[in-house]
Amino acid sequence: MPDATESRRNLDAWWGLLLALAAMLCNAVFFVNPPVQRTIPWLSLLLAVSALIFLARGIKRVFGRPRIYRGRILSAIVAAPSLLLVSLVLITFFHARAMPTSAAAPRVGQRALDFTLTDTSGQPVSFDQLFAPAADDPQHTAPKEVLLIFYRGYW
Amino acid sequence: MAISVDPPEVSRDFCKKAGYTFTVLSDPKAEVIRRYDLLHVGAGPEGHDVARPAEFLVDSSKVVRWVNFTEDVRVRARADEMLAQAKKLR
Repeated sequence: MPDATESRRNLDAWWGLLLALAAMLCNAVFFVNPPVQRTIPWLSLLLAVSALIFLARGIKRVFGRPRIYRGRILSAIVAAPSLLLVSLVLITFFHARAMPTSAAAPRVGQRALDFTLTDTSGQPVSFDQLFAPAADDPQHTAPKEVLLIFYRGYW
Repeated sequence: MAISVDPPEVSRDFCKKAGYTFTVLSDPKAEVIRRYDLLHVGAGPEGHDVARPAEFLVDSSKVVRWVNFTEDVRVRARADEMLAQAKKLR
């Protein structure tokens, strides 16, 4: 039983803030597109949840047992922006993963659908034309594969 | 090659800036994007419909040999991953 007259410092809220900041910083990693990027969303989620646990414990301690743990006001001041950061990380996580199911999209082994669209110089280009040899290729070798990249645009 | 809802002028500027020389096609009405079931309704700026990121490696008989449907909009297929998949087919 700790001596009630000797109150302890409560570092949980600070740990919460640190973890929340780390969770937020994870998002910066996507700009460099590293090979480990698939794990980054999960890392940010783990950090955000850990931050929540520390914040909850810290707040519970200072308000539940104020005679043992001091720093109620400071803990609250640290916890508020931390909670905001954690909320932002969680909202971003779920928003970023809210993708259409694309159940009817072509899968491996299925044929890709034909199309004709306009290129950057306003000329129509068909899917078949993409398999034609490149004009600047002296060997006139036709491409063996074509990579179709659908992207969001508005860059 | 790449497809988005951006009009040709926008794609042209984008390619020029990025130095891309591959074919970039425009699907402003998202017709092909819709046929491929890749439409992400309201996900663009001001609630515009855009394509969800997806990559298809298609062979010369137009059969899909590899596909990637981005699960997290922040995580994109890397060029080296796609090149590795293309090399696997050789």
